Amino acid sequence: MARDEHFILRENIPAYALGALDAEDVRALEAHLPTCESCRTELADYRAISDNLLTALPPRQPAPALRKRLQSRLPSARPAQKPAQPRFVWSFSRLAVGAALLLLFVMNLLSFAQVRELQRQQVDVQRQLQNNQAALAMLSYPGTQALPIEAANISGTVLLDRDRNSVALVAWNLPELAEEQIYQIWLIDANGKWIGAGLFYPQADLPYTTQPVFPSQNISSFAGICVTIEPEGGSERPTGPRIFRVDF
Amino acid sequence: MLYDRHVGRVYALTLHILSNPMLAEEATQDAFLKLWSRARLYLSERGPFLLWLLTIARRTALDRLRLEGRRPMLSDSKDPEDSWDIIPDLDTVPEESRWRSLYFAVQSLQPDHRQVIELAYYQGMSQREIAEVLSWPLGTVKTRLRAAMEHLREKWYEE
Repeated sequence: MARDEHFILRENIPAYALGALDAEDVRALEAHLPTCESCRTELADYRAISDNLLTALPPRQPAPALRKRLQSRLPSARPAQKPAQPRFVWSFSRLAVGAALLLLFVMNLLSFAQVRELQRQQVDVQRQLQNNQAALAMLSYPGTQALPIEAANISGTVLLDRDRNSVALVAWNLPELAEEQIYQIWLIDANGKWIGAGLFYPQADLPYTTQPVFPSQNISSFAGICVTIEPEGGSERPTGPRIFRVDF
Repeated sequence: MLYDRHVGRVYALTLHILSNPMLAEEATQDAFLKLWSRARLYLSERGPFLLWLLTIARRTALDRLRLEGRRPMLSDSKDPEDSWDIIPDLDTVPEESRWRSLYFAVQSLQPDHRQVIELAYYQGMSQREIAEVLSWPLGTVKTRLRAAMEHLREKWYEE
């Protein structure tokens, strides 16, 4: 920048500090200031003058009424309003949200029940599959005896494997149980004593039921097997109707 | 209270600019209302609080002056209440002392120089407007304004 131009701009600094510089001169000076430290220093000096011209007047007191007028217009002077208490207001949107939450809760409950039911069914199927596999394995063993079940409307087989001390029932057309009833298996020893050997429900959705039996002692000590209907949880001794009996 | 502490200076400034007690009171009231609404914008690192308040008051009064379309005061007559008699001790009340010194420096300016300062700062006029109002050449206004400010600068920094 030419030295002359610098001095011309510098002469405008006092007017700029007072806010009296015309617009085109303001633009020129403001473009120059960032590049010139001596001009910035001079401007700071003149700014101090213009700032303090604000206070270079003897204080004067306005009419006392001004204070009251001002107080009446200030937010803090207005009567304090009690903060509004949060109040529940029924509205369509709130009802909709409530209903949606309730529906979600019910659906969750139903889903939970369905999951539990599916888990229970899975356990039943798995158990039945194991029973069927055990029966098949017993059938394939050469020493297994297949004793026919002969009862009204019920047919089937008692598989008896004396070598492995195991027994299995394959029964067709077992009658449906009433509420709180279960089938109980009994093994009958040589003295005619009935010993409980397991509980089972008929296999759901299938015409036959396969049920392994686990004797508490050597199967050879028993003379026969019997199935009765008992209250849920089983009985100490047979109390219900006999479904079938097979002698070994 | 903030009002009681500063209203004397705010009103003095608005009255000096507007030369009308009723308008000056309204401008003072507006300045304090703006202060309340903008208080959170005050940054102490940018200067003393009083200067910030008085800057608000000056702008408010100048806006009101333009709104009223009043002609600028051209006479050099002075309100007898609008004066200080003495400069207090610089060591005990340094700020007050410096403000009064500046006041006396302004009063010591040549009348035509003081008039330029009055019109520029307290009437919010540009140099070109001053030239028109006073029917002076623009160059004369610039020269006198610069000379007046240089004089004030010398007085301000000589202490």
